[in-house]
Amino acid sequence: MMPGDYLSVILLIAGSLFFLAGTLGLLRFPDVYTRLHALTKADNVGLGLMVAGLALQAESWTVVGKLLLIWLLVLLAAASVAYLVAAAARQRGIKLWKR
Amino acid sequence: MIVRIVDRRQGLELTPRELVLFHLWNGCLRAVLFALVWWIFTDGAMDSWWVGVPVILFATLVSKVLLPPYFWSLTGIIRFVPFFLWRSLYGGVDVARRALHPRLPISPGLFCYPWRLPPGLPRIFMANVVSLLPGTLSTQLGEHCLQVHVLDERKDCLSELETVEQRVAVMFGISLLPPSSGGE
Repeated sequence: MMPGDYLSVILLIAGSLFFLAGTLGLLRFPDVYTRLHALTKADNVGLGLMVAGLALQAESWTVVGKLLLIWLLVLLAAASVAYLVAAAARQRGIKLWKR
Repeated sequence: MIVRIVDRRQGLELTPRELVLFHLWNGCLRAVLFALVWWIFTDGAMDSWWVGVPVILFATLVSKVLLPPYFWSLTGIIRFVPFFLWRSLYGGVDVARRALHPRLPISPGLFCYPWRLPPGLPRIFMANVVSLLPGTLSTQLGEHCLQVHVLDERKDCLSELETVEQRVAVMFGISLLPPSSGGE
């Protein structure tokens, strides 16, 4: 394996750990708002690391561009959907969990 | 690069000549962006441009109708990217740590952040960025303030939000209004 391959492996494993943490947050956090925190932030970083790891293996710049576009679109979708879900929950009067 | 205010609500005055030049420049920029996306989609296949050029022109036209142009600062964008990457990485680590911690160290709360950005795209952009930064989630784009759900009330997120707002303002090349007069 080349040094770039090792870096890819590290980035991909780190990315999947963030997805794992995000899923764990989705299960463990107490209400809709806190769960959205886990989904948006952890998955965004997880996907970012995976995209970085895969970009190192890309054969051409257009593939790197595609990966980056995927990441940007997912970021946009995640942030917008999180806002819509949170705003809808507020409108329905769903109380937030307090310690 | 000259940074100016385009939002009409902020009292921008352009001569007709400047307006035409601005729209032309903006249209060219968007066409270049769409061309880049086409190049990425088609893996740079030369014979695809017969379809690509009309599609790019059409997309530029549609985008001009759907999204009014904004002045933005190239240096502002370049400075925003590392800030955003670093803070969102921190946000991911922060929320992952809390989710994995046996005692679940969270103490959620809601708070209102008074806008200093003008209404429109800058506010929407900021609300989206806030949701991806550590411990904050936009829950309502109010007229006078942005309602934010925070994962940990004990942490000071006001200064973080002020920094984000400042950087978004630099990106769009606009100056911040004093709070409370932010709404229309």
